[in-house]
Amino acid sequence: MIQRRTFLTAAGILLAASSSGRAKPAPRLAAIDWAMMETAIALGHMPVAGAELIRYRADVEQPVIPQDVVDLGLRGSPNFELLQLVRPDLILSSPYYTQYRARLEGIAPVLSLTFFVPGEPPLPRAFAALADMGHEIGDTAAAARVAEAADAALDAAAARLAPFRDRPVALIDIGDARHMRMFGFDSLFGSTLERLGLTNARSQPTAFGFMAPVPLESLADMPDARVVVIGPPPLAARRALARSVLWRALPPVTQNRVHALPGLNPFGAIPTVLRFAAELERALTSGPTTIA
Amino acid sequence: MTRTLTLLPALGAAVLLWLLAAHALAGWHWPALPFRPEAMTLDQIRLAFGLMPRGAIALVAGAMLGLSGAILQVVLRNPVADPTTLGIQSGAQLALVLGTVIAPGLMEYGRWPVAVTGAAAASLLVMAIGARRAFAPVTMVIAGMLVGMTASAIATAVTLSQGEYLLSLVIWNGGSLVQQDWSGVRALAFVFAAGALAAGLLLRPLRVLSLGAEGARGLGLNVAAVRLLAVTVALVLAAAVSAEVGLVAFVGLAGPAAARAMGASGSGRLMVLSAVAGALLLSLSDGLVLTLAGLGAESFPTGALTGLIGGPLLIALLPRLRGATPPGEERAEASLRRARRPYRLLGAISAAILLAGVVLLVIGRVPGGWAVLDRHSFATFLPMRLPRLIGATAAGAALGMAGAILQRLTANPLASPEVLGVSGGAALGYALAVFFVAVPGTGTLAVGTMTGGIAALAVVAAFAQRRQMPPERILLAGIAVSALASAVLAAIMSVGDTRSFLVLAWLSGSAAMVTPAGAAGLCAVVAAVWAMALGTRRWLGILPLGDGVAGGLGLRTGGARLALVVVAGVAVGGATILVGPLSFVGLMAPHMARRMGLVLPMDHVTGAALIGGGLMLAADFGARMAGFPYELPLGLFASLIGAPWLIGLMMRRAR
Repeated sequence: MIQRRTFLTAAGILLAASSSGRAKPAPRLAAIDWAMMETAIALGHMPVAGAELIRYRADVEQPVIPQDVVDLGLRGSPNFELLQLVRPDLILSSPYYTQYRARLEGIAPVLSLTFFVPGEPPLPRAFAALADMGHEIGDTAAAARVAEAADAALDAAAARLAPFRDRPVALIDIGDARHMRMFGFDSLFGSTLERLGLTNARSQPTAFGFMAPVPLESLADMPDARVVVIGPPPLAARRALARSVLWRALPPVTQNRVHALPGLNPFGAIPTVLRFAAELERALTSGPTTIA
Repeated sequence: MTRTLTLLPALGAAVLLWLLAAHALAGWHWPALPFRPEAMTLDQIRLAFGLMPRGAIALVAGAMLGLSGAILQVVLRNPVADPTTLGIQSGAQLALVLGTVIAPGLMEYGRWPVAVTGAAAASLLVMAIGARRAFAPVTMVIAGMLVGMTASAIATAVTLSQGEYLLSLVIWNGGSLVQQDWSGVRALAFVFAAGALAAGLLLRPLRVLSLGAEGARGLGLNVAAVRLLAVTVALVLAAAVSAEVGLVAFVGLAGPAAARAMGASGSGRLMVLSAVAGALLLSLSDGLVLTLAGLGAESFPTGALTGLIGGPLLIALLPRLRGATPPGEERAEASLRRARRPYRLLGAISAAILLAGVVLLVIGRVPGGWAVLDRHSFATFLPMRLPRLIGATAAGAALGMAGAILQRLTANPLASPEVLGVSGGAALGYALAVFFVAVPGTGTLAVGTMTGGIAALAVVAAFAQRRQMPPERILLAGIAVSALASAVLAAIMSVGDTRSFLVLAWLSGSAAMVTPAGAAGLCAVVAAVWAMALGTRRWLGILPLGDGVAGGLGLRTGGARLALVVVAGVAVGGATILVGPLSFVGLMAPHMARRMGLVLPMDHVTGAALIGGGLMLAADFGARMAGFPYELPLGLFASLIGAPWLIGLMMRRAR
């Protein structure tokens, strides 16, 4: 028993020590929300703990989360005891998790910022989050620097993407051979697309997030568009699309205007925005790809 | 014959709705046969390879489900049998979800083998349970719905654990009829043709069988083989639809019901008319969905719409069920030995639970291993752990008592809160609160959940109050209410947004959010329910003996039943807020108490409460520790413990 108790204390110290390598004492951040986690990473403050890291690492290649960051479990039900053990100075949350705000506040102060509001473009909110978080953790210099660099990068990308302003862009994510999700102006990708000076082929908002699959044939309503597929489609869908008369008859497909992007986090923040911009530029300049 | 003419308006409406959608798409410039995509405009392609196969698949899939339901009803002599109520579709669903998540490579070769395997496993289970109880209609449906609920709960939890990115899973669960070519129609039409042929060949033996198994055997018929073949045909039909378009619920129930309403009496006519009615029903539903989509509403999976008809239809069919359970079939466990010192036994169980609670308070997992908490950690963890442990235990106790009361009330060993409909109603109330209140607080959610539970209860209680209402039908009414609740829930979710995720998370249950006040409130509910049980212990002793005895002893059975249903409903409503709608603790705990010899009413109820509390405590511990630091849903973990027990219990041969 005594050995086990020592072990617990040792584990506590281990967890507490994982960020001690820094020169000056930085606040220990624990992120429940992925957009907040990305914002912290953008500011150069890698959280000591984050939620659902297994899934994040599998879906999103960048930014890389070091192995010593503690995984807090599911975003929908984080492990509060583990969170307590990590001894954070600040917990990063969002309104998606209001139901356990009181519980989180019992452990450490909570910073909850809103990124996604139905009907509003999230990019300005992602920039505002940099400033708000920078202020909260006492690193406004980093916030200003990162925001400036991101703005410059987006401006540069917009300039390089100018030749592609001739056609609207449809941002989709393929669910199966018959359905997709289409990102509107109130998604992170749609909002960034506009910042890059391109037009979104979809004028309605995304019915965001979870469900609301759209029939793939709605692409027929936007014959002029370049189709940008975000994330690799499921294997079975790829095979079925190859055989589908309708898919092969869609103007963007017949006229080779389909481009593929790697997996990106639709509920991310500035790092996802920059990666989306870079990948979009790469995809559009390197030419069309065959999805199926 | 004239009554079949009532099908014509339905046919007309379905065709009209489809034509409206087609006209909106391509005007009257229809492509000429044979379809050559090279020579068509895009809109013509959308018509020829999108909308036309969609209309065709609605007809074929509807016909298949109608035929499948008719075959099941004929062979089981059960007017409420259908691929949904017997758990066949949920089995296919679970298999497909697991296939997508665990072995996506396997799914590449088609969904069919996977779906048929899952459907076969689920129906094998339900049939095995039914065979032990002479295929009593209500027992079959209860078993089927329990198997189905478990399968879809596991499927939901797996979907949830995959985050929101497995879009294909979500689409499939909705039952969308959107098509892109004719391959789906071709495949289904082939299976339908084969199934219809097989049903035609089986018609004569089935007709002989309808004289009764004894007579059929006398005429030299291999009864078991005929039943097996017929069920297999029905199963393959339903599984094929599941694999191709997803979950389209209750068409197999509605088809034969419509056919009977039109006066179909013979097996042959019933099958033909059921297929026709099923085809029309699904076409009509899909026409409505198309029209709504054309009017600019959210695109809506057709399966979510047909699910809505199941609950009301089951309730409408209730009076058709004759003497549901054959006497003697469900009373196998009546003659259990009685414990000599029940109080000592109850005391021992309480002590064990207390001890377990104390142990669970001081141990825990940290990254890399297990640990006993030091004093500092204990002090910081206690405010989080204590309410959680107490809340879970109290919820288990409430469910255990509710189960014991329901099983005594209905004299049916399969009675449990899950089938009372209260859980489903509570879930619906929660979802409505999430969707219609801008920023729901805990209080609003609790009110929503309670209101939903009580509303469901009111419907079921209305049935309980009717004279001549056999207890089994209360259970069936409960099932109908849960079916309706889950269909409405599915419909809300299929057009929802991130809030759907919140509801989904809650559906699988978690004790993490219990506040000290919540735990105390739940304890108060437990105490109140126990006191009410104490007050009604005489009824609890008499009701299992049957209406005749109870009436002879001067008990007004209607009033007593109503009171007990309310008591059980309050207990379930309180617990559901915490553990979600499914746990099986209310089913297991009363049986375990009986097996320990706690036979007298109050011993039974108290024992069920204690054992239920202990089970939930164990489930909470397991849910937190099994996937550390990922916390598994409490309700799901409890049902993973409960399901094998349930199956074992129901498979035991009735003596």
